[in-house]
Amino acid sequence: MASAQPLNNLKENTLRFLGNVTVGVALLALWGVLTLIGVVIEQGKDPASYFSWYPAPIARAILRLDFNDIYHSVWYLLSIGLVLASMTTATFTKVIPRRLPPHQAVKIDAIPLHDRVTIVGSVEEVRAGIEEFFTARGWSVMKREIDGTLWSFADRFNWARVGVLVNHTAILIIAAGTIMYWAWGFSGETAILTGQAAQIPQTHDLIRLDRFSYTIEPIMTKSGIVYQPIDYVSHVTVVGRNGTPASMIVRVNHPIDLDGTLIYQASYGFAMRFLVFHGKALVRELSGRPLLEGDAIAIPGTGRSVVYVSFVPTIDPRTHLPSPDPRISDPGAVLGVIESGVPLGEMLLPLRSPLDLGDGWRVVPAHEVVYSGFQYRYDPGVPLVAAGAGLLLIGLIISFYFLPARLHVRVDDAGEGRCTVGVAATTVKGYDIFEEAFHDLIAQLKHVDQR
Amino acid sequence: MHPMALDAVLMILALAAYAVGAVVLVVYFFSREGWMRNLGATLAIAGCASQFAQLAARYAETHIWPLLNLYGSLSLFSAMAVAIFIALAFRYRLWFAGGFLLAIAALFLAYGTTWNEGVMPAVPSLQSYWAKIHVPLVVSSYGAFLVSFVFSGLYLARYYAERRLAPAFPAGSTSAVFDGWLGTLPSLTQLDILVYRAVSIGLPLLTLGIITGAAWAHEAWGAYWQWDPKETAALASWILYASYMHLHTRTSWRGLRCNWWSVIAFASIIFCYLGVNIWISGLHSYKV
Ligand code: HEM
Repeated sequence: MASAQPLNNLKENTLRFLGNVTVGVALLALWGVLTLIGVVIEQGKDPASYFSWYPAPIARAILRLDFNDIYHSVWYLLSIGLVLASMTTATFTKVIPRRLPPHQAVKIDAIPLHDRVTIVGSVEEVRAGIEEFFTARGWSVMKREIDGTLWSFADRFNWARVGVLVNHTAILIIAAGTIMYWAWGFSGETAILTGQAAQIPQTHDLIRLDRFSYTIEPIMTKSGIVYQPIDYVSHVTVVGRNGTPASMIVRVNHPIDLDGTLIYQASYGFAMRFLVFHGKALVRELSGRPLLEGDAIAIPGTGRSVVYVSFVPTIDPRTHLPSPDPRISDPGAVLGVIESGVPLGEMLLPLRSPLDLGDGWRVVPAHEVVYSGFQYRYDPGVPLVAAGAGLLLIGLIISFYFLPARLHVRVDDAGEGRCTVGVAATTVKGYDIFEEAFHDLIAQLKHVDQR
Repeated sequence: MHPMALDAVLMILALAAYAVGAVVLVVYFFSREGWMRNLGATLAIAGCASQFAQLAARYAETHIWPLLNLYGSLSLFSAMAVAIFIALAFRYRLWFAGGFLLAIAALFLAYGTTWNEGVMPAVPSLQSYWAKIHVPLVVSSYGAFLVSFVFSGLYLARYYAERRLAPAFPAGSTSAVFDGWLGTLPSLTQLDILVYRAVSIGLPLLTLGIITGAAWAHEAWGAYWQWDPKETAALASWILYASYMHLHTRTSWRGLRCNWWSVIAFASIIFCYLGVNIWISGLHSYKV
């Protein structure tokens, strides 16, 4: 059909293009460069940050090209997609068809790695001796008569020709595992105050934080005291699908598994309970609820609100500034005041001391409540990714340490009870890499003959 | 002797052995005197052994895995580069390149000593048995890549020297340089294969390093891959070396182009190793 021809040509050309190793490497390089761009340009910051770090035209280009979130950009996904397409095409058009070349006669002298040895004996004896020689060294030998000439073929690590296939399949398996997470996985984070519970929205499983503790040690280093966190521990009660509460401990590096969702210790912090007074009376509706950093209490009828900015575990008694010591000894809170949407300023207040907001209103940061930050993640692709990674490793070892090679051996009667043995070697990685081993082998062959 | 003093003494011994060994082997490179090779090889082995002894002494004294800061990590980097080189040198008779390798290893080691912060326990996320597996693997792969970089350097030196000298000494004639150091170097093809062999050690190690890093991240941070600058930079280096491997399967790319590619790939390793730690903070930065 006339109309099918151009289409076939297009298909053929596309396949030829994608299957070309140099094109494949160019695509890999593109993927590598995009990956590096993401290392150099900080990812996931708000647009204003880029304008503060870079000249405006560059910042604009970064935002327009999605380089601020490059790993989720069309470019990045496209580069990986093309790498996979190219790899798969090359596998089918180049790697698989070339797997096992037939045993053929060759022009010994035309192959760069070749040599000749003269061996005493009849053709039959010499062929038998050669077979024994190579078999003893781990080569598998097959004999064949081609056009009246006697050939022996010795193959080594033929099975390792699957190495490339193993590698490429491994990469596809890893890709499949990643796609499974995009399709069915989820992740998120939640902060739970001591004594409170949170639900994982996707599974409706419950986690209650019974107690959180941490250990921090001051350590003297050359550059002064460093407060090194040693341990974070969350004691939780969880209620999973089976409805039975269970006590568990979550610590860094030791996640818990709740119906297949893993829950990790990610962070910790302090909420603050405030007491709010109007005149001498405690205003119950506004008091007692713990506020997380950034939360605010709006003071009724004033247009004013007070923001809980952060907790200060220790106020330095000399400077009255926050001490770097993260352990609690003389705690305070940083509060901010906002008037009709305009921030008026921030101050550090010791706990239990009042802040006068005018019009008879006072707030008192009463005491802190520690919370634990958890990350949760359900990733059904993990087993596939792990299997792919393992396979990749096996493939690399096969490809790099087991070099499939073939020796073409031709035995010709040279008269006077001698034979000329011509040996030529080919490998899947050219000749240079096998040169030394080849000459060793021929030297041994000559040596054996002398004995 | 106080064990921390032992740490310092072994470090100084290693540095001295590398420095002297580097000089001896560079002289050997030009002179090809057999006794110099033997002396240089002995110094390389002695330096490498005292480096491993130093890391062991530090661990024995502090019970803190010594590789989690740049001091310990750079020390393992140069120790592994030298160890991999020694193994290859015995196997393929490569001592002629030892001077350059020892000099670079000594520089990295000396730079590492500027990061000695004293004794610090690890932060919780680094307290994991994965630290004991992942870090040595990655750092060893960097060591193998350093070896490949040195051979690529020699390849390029020989390539350009030949090109410069060939017109001056037309066919058949010789020069002192050709007869001297250039002539005793392995051929370009052999140097190219040596680079390939060193990358064949480095790439599986880096792959295993990234995999164990992902396993650790899965355990510590909840996701095996987070696009943290360190792991991402390692991925970029991995891609570059995987590309090198593919280019090396093309006859037309083998040699000059492959060796330039290997030099660029090693630059990406140094960026991933030092650049990211020092300039770009992230979950992996040793400074947090
Ligand atoms: C752009 C995508 C890719 C293409 C087009 C491609 C193509 C090829 C081809 C045609 C070969 C056989 C070369 C020969 O023996 O002549 C090969 C070998 C190989 N491929 Fe790929 N590949 C790609 C991606 C990958 C990736 C991502 C990996 C992961 C490590 C990989 C691992 C390997 C290995 C280890 C070999 C054997 C190399 C050697 O024997 O030195 N490939 N590839």
